[in-house]
Amino acid sequence: MSELDRRDFLKLVGASAGAAAAVGCSDPVEKLIPYVVQPEEITPGIPVIYASTCRECPAGCGLHVRTREGRPVKLEGNPEHPVNQGTLCARGQSGIGRTYHPDRFAGPMRRGPGGELEPLAWDEALSLLAEKIQANPSGTYVLGGDVGPTAGSVVDRFVTATGAGGRVVYDPFAPEALRESTRALFGQARVPRFDLSDADLVVDFGSDFLDVGPAPTEHARQLAQARDVHNENGGVRLVHVGPRLSMTASNADEWIPAKPGSEGLVALAAAHVALRERGGDASALRSLGHVTPADAAARAGVDAATIERLGRALAAAKRPVALPPGVAGWSRRAVASAAAVLLLNHALGAVGRDVHLEREPAGRARASHREALRLVEAMNSGAVSVLIVHDADPLYSLPAASGFGKALEKVDFVVSTASMVDETAARADLILPDHTPLESWGDAEPRVGVRSLLQPTIRPLFDTRALADTLLDTGRAMGLGGQLPSGSFRTLLEQAWSGSDFRNALARGGEFRPQASGSAPVPSASAMLQVAEPMLEGEGDFALVAYPHSLLYDGRGANLPWLQEIPDPVTKVAWQSWVEVSQATADKMGLKAGDVLAVETSAGRVEVPVLPRGGIRDDVVAIAIGQGHSRGHYASLAGDGQPGETRGVSVLALLPSVTDESGGRAFLTARARVTKTGGFQRLPLLQSTDNKRKRMLGEALPLAVVKGEGHGDGHAGGHHGADLGPVYANEHAPIEAYDATADSHEDSPYRWGMSIDLDKCTGCSACVAACYLENNIPVVGEEGSVRARQMSWIRIERFVGEGYIEYVDAPERGRRPQPSNEVLGKTDVRNSPMLCQQCGAAPCEPVCPPIATYHNPEGLNGMIYNRCIGTRYCSNNCPYKVRRFNYFDYSQFNWPGLFNLMLNPDVTVRGQGVMEKCTFCVQRINAARQGAKDEGRPIGDGEVVTACQQACPSHAIGFGNLKDSGSAVSKLGDDKRGYHALHSLNTRSAITYLAKVTRDVES
Amino acid sequence: MTPPPAEAVAARLASAPVASDSKINRDILSVLDGASLKYWGLLGLVVLGVAQAVATLAYQTYIGMGVAGYSHPIFWGVYIVCFVFWVGIAHAGTLISAILYLFRAKWRNAINRGAEAMTVFAVVTAALFPLIHIGRIWKFYFMIPYPNQRGLWVNFKSPLLWDLFAINTYMTISIVFFYVGLIPDIAIARDRSSGWRKVLYTILSLGWQGTSRQWKAHNRTVLHLSGLATPLVLSVHSVVSWDFAVSIVPGWHATIFAPYFVAGAIFSGFAMVLTLLIPVRRIFGLEEYITDYHFENMSRFILLTSTIVGYAYGAEYFIAWYSGVEAERTSFFMRALGPYWISTWIMITCNAVFPQLLWFKKLRTNLPFLFVLAFLINLGMWFERYVIIITGLSREHDPAVWGTYTPSLAEMSILVGSFCWFSMFFLIFLKIFPVVAIYEVKELAIHENAHGGAH
Repeated sequence: MSELDRRDFLKLVGASAGAAAAVGCSDPVEKLIPYVVQPEEITPGIPVIYASTCRECPAGCGLHVRTREGRPVKLEGNPEHPVNQGTLCARGQSGIGRTYHPDRFAGPMRRGPGGELEPLAWDEALSLLAEKIQANPSGTYVLGGDVGPTAGSVVDRFVTATGAGGRVVYDPFAPEALRESTRALFGQARVPRFDLSDADLVVDFGSDFLDVGPAPTEHARQLAQARDVHNENGGVRLVHVGPRLSMTASNADEWIPAKPGSEGLVALAAAHVALRERGGDASALRSLGHVTPADAAARAGVDAATIERLGRALAAAKRPVALPPGVAGWSRRAVASAAAVLLLNHALGAVGRDVHLEREPAGRARASHREALRLVEAMNSGAVSVLIVHDADPLYSLPAASGFGKALEKVDFVVSTASMVDETAARADLILPDHTPLESWGDAEPRVGVRSLLQPTIRPLFDTRALADTLLDTGRAMGLGGQLPSGSFRTLLEQAWSGSDFRNALARGGEFRPQASGSAPVPSASAMLQVAEPMLEGEGDFALVAYPHSLLYDGRGANLPWLQEIPDPVTKVAWQSWVEVSQATADKMGLKAGDVLAVETSAGRVEVPVLPRGGIRDDVVAIAIGQGHSRGHYASLAGDGQPGETRGVSVLALLPSVTDESGGRAFLTARARVTKTGGFQRLPLLQSTDNKRKRMLGEALPLAVVKGEGHGDGHAGGHHGADLGPVYANEHAPIEAYDATADSHEDSPYRWGMSIDLDKCTGCSACVAACYLENNIPVVGEEGSVRARQMSWIRIERFVGEGYIEYVDAPERGRRPQPSNEVLGKTDVRNSPMLCQQCGAAPCEPVCPPIATYHNPEGLNGMIYNRCIGTRYCSNNCPYKVRRFNYFDYSQFNWPGLFNLMLNPDVTVRGQGVMEKCTFCVQRINAARQGAKDEGRPIGDGEVVTACQQACPSHAIGFGNLKDSGSAVSKLGDDKRGYHALHSLNTRSAITYLAKVTRDVES
Repeated sequence: MTPPPAEAVAARLASAPVASDSKINRDILSVLDGASLKYWGLLGLVVLGVAQAVATLAYQTYIGMGVAGYSHPIFWGVYIVCFVFWVGIAHAGTLISAILYLFRAKWRNAINRGAEAMTVFAVVTAALFPLIHIGRIWKFYFMIPYPNQRGLWVNFKSPLLWDLFAINTYMTISIVFFYVGLIPDIAIARDRSSGWRKVLYTILSLGWQGTSRQWKAHNRTVLHLSGLATPLVLSVHSVVSWDFAVSIVPGWHATIFAPYFVAGAIFSGFAMVLTLLIPVRRIFGLEEYITDYHFENMSRFILLTSTIVGYAYGAEYFIAWYSGVEAERTSFFMRALGPYWISTWIMITCNAVFPQLLWFKKLRTNLPFLFVLAFLINLGMWFERYVIIITGLSREHDPAVWGTYTPSLAEMSILVGSFCWFSMFFLIFLKIFPVVAIYEVKELAIHENAHGGAH
């Protein structure tokens, strides 16, 4: 028992102080722990890809879930899937966040006596539910979204077995009017599918098929295919009819700004004109009432000549397709409007050719708004004692006027199977959390012949249970095992797929045998529909247009950080609600962007900041659906599942509970009064102006110019940009063309380059989401967005027209110039993705003192994060402004919940104080290099696919080696439309933009 | 070549009347005597100001640069503005000490010590800002080229690296110049002090005895240092201006920047000398040594440089228009009439308009007027840098990402801290070293005596 002597004591003190100091100074120690038992199939560093199905909207796109070391890190499109063919929209990609979300329920929870949620075991939870159901089986209802055929059949059998009151399938955007219109016209209720691939004229009567539509990835791809400038007549013409310049309207060649709800009138009048021109039987049209162009024009608020012109263009077109109104246009007359458009299609011979009335898949659950409203009635009458809500958030997405919230109070026992907190789950007495789609088995059949599978890609992270298993186990706990199928949901799924090669289907993502559409049905003249104005409720000067936010959809995207962070493709507002009014209205009322308006209808009142636009009718105000949640880490201003203030407002609070002719849900139902409140809220507006000041950004060329000199390959000069002079002599003197292949080391076989076709880019922002998720880009939230501190490496710039160089940026126009270049009835919108141009003569490189950014031998602007000291000079000198600065240590607090598990291990998570920017997905280049090196060959064309390119639904982005003259990107670079952004600065950009083509509808 | 004046001075020094000698000594050294409560109060205040800025810096370093007002794409803000401002201030000292010395402008003798001290403290202040500004202050040494285990070198193409050298060279030479000039005065103070001061002065005076040999060496050193420092006056701010001129930012990319910045620097430097010396003269009763004659000469310098700066403002606008480059024109239009118009008009009125009043001789010697004018010039010159940096970055080539910048509280805290830091040094300097160069004033007095009062 020797005592510590003084010398030893001092030594120890010294040593430990030294060690402490050494540890304190260095970066925190992190340990790599190797597998003790190496799992089969997993090779660290090599991704494992599972095929699955996207559940973010009913389109049913196929997924490739990229997993690394057992964790899904990115969602990509399944190239074999007929719907999306390898691409994926922003919403689909962001769906990965549900699995790692901080708002997830860790296990079953029960509402305690104090109103607090307390955890309980699954057995307990299920027997509690069983008990409640047994107490009053007929008072038990199941309300929820579409869960696919197999899970849906389990729900149905559960309902039958327990003798429950019923199952109500609920989908706020279910196309009931469209289905009903086919029943009325053709005698068969089917949701038509529109194929734009081979069309030469597409008239969109407000379907907004690029914004949300029935399948945005598919339609964007088809439009891009039809729009190819090499097609006959220079590609399809797109005409949009609707009250506001939506994303679809922005991509149109002509925009007819008809009053909201008058699309059917315009369609019917145009059909009359077209039939007159073509000669055909107009009797079918009469069933919807006779509407002359002049009549329709007066009622729709457009020129009669415009409708005449539209009709003639439709008559002259070889393969015209017309799309019926979408969510924003569903009024009381939605069925008649849809019928008018269908009749137009029929009159033009499009039905059966490009408009397919296919048999609906067996077992497809049909959502019915009328039934949902009946359920509310039943709840109010006290007939409902147990309500099981799954895969839907009706408390948010039903109109507040339907009284669902009040009715919920009368339900004795509310059960939610939400995997993360939402409005309805927050009111539930029992929470039986479901797996997230990435943890689930399941299937979907978006259209007949397209059977798509979901498979788990990660073991459930929490103590959750699949909905079907929850119901089966509850039924068994009630002693109804005999009436229910035996086995787990997984075995049931295999049984359901017994007719197919299940393993093969799992590998491919499903079974895809799209069926040819049948012959064109003949319309019956007996439809009892009347095409007319929408009959809006209430008073006020404005029609209120509630349209689905293209990223937040029906609100389900609001709790996913990327969908909040990516600005709305049209207005560039992120993280907030805004009300769109016309510039004229704003001038009249003295409004600037951000002034808070009170919008009042017969159903309610909200206060929301205003965004004046040129691209909206004077008699319309518009608010996007999707914001205004009171729960959710990102969706609201609440924390940790506690109620809080809403982020933005929900326009659904303004809508009266109104249905269309068939009982389907109507959104275009109210007139609104707006008044200034005097308040001001700075909107997170991510683009300062849509005026490009005639600078070489977002260029467009008339079709005549492209066609006139563009035939053959014999244009002057071999390198792209050689013919910039004559076409692009706007305000810059033409600059000598340069040889991009000289911008990498002479010994390197590669000079990476990109081509971006602005004629195909729709602005949908799928590329932006892909970039966020591939490259571990942090989100900065509303406050950060207000301060323009977003970190995205790629942004979509939206310019309207060539712009003007007068100076309107005077301080009285507000702190930020507002988008104001839009003109009612004109569309010259250029969506131009802006990312690091990987310049050959990069302005950022020479100014960096520690050489943190440098030119790599393959022509890329390398960025060495751990060399960077953050002088930020590179960003000052970058004319494209694509460099981002880490204002805070995002790596420490930007990934709440388990988000850090989905970080891409191939991409460095950047620390505080360094610059970052697009790398052309250098990790993917290196991955391709590994494979090529193993095989002793150079990287082939098309082997490297950047994240943005992969996601782009319209294949606007090309990537490859500029030193390989045969590569696709080199050939595209030689296109007549090619130009380099801000060419006059001679940065020798590696990205060739192909100018948008402006087409005249009449030509 | 005539022999350096030092010999003559040294020769006459011995025979100079003792009474005159003592009066100058007494008058000037009396500044060093006992600090009043007010002095301690003021010193305490500025030390507090420094302390709060240090706390802010620690906070900013810990939390991240996001606490400053940066927003995409404006990544340079108040810190760089302050950097350029303080480097500019630092110019007057060297100009007075070196260039005017070489030109034998005798009037400089009374003000050069104050100006040199100001230079040293301003450079020391300026040198902090690049560090405060960078995102990873703890890695600042990545900018210094020395053989290292990282196996990496620095980028000599970057103007920021040129800056590093320019500032460090300037700081070194300013400190040496300041110190060499102080040696004879420290010796005088040494001979009249006791206690810790005696020890300090004994060490710092390097054994100065005032021998003819020492004077000769001293004068030669000053002469050679002046020769070395003269090009620096022009080069430092030229290099600083290249931080901007070398880039391709509209509003920055201009060949006029080097002379424009140098003139502006001298302009602001003289204004700062006025700001400091007017109160010092008043408080410590140095009217006999710092006279209207000095103020008038400084006013003339200010008038000259103000005119150059005003010309540069005009030239910038002319070139922006004449170039025909839309981005340049827009940038300058926005500068004057965009969201930062207030800053721009403060800059133009304070720097190019108000100083023109100095054409009036009465105003050139009206100290209250000069004090106010000097303050306005300092303000205007701070805003000049603010305007160049912020408006340049806020309206660049891509209109989609034009931005706005508002300085944050943290930046204001450090801005205030920088003035306190500078003042702290100056206040300490006042009580430790003679604020007027005793030996140079004596030199003047001797000349006056020798030439019967004629100048």
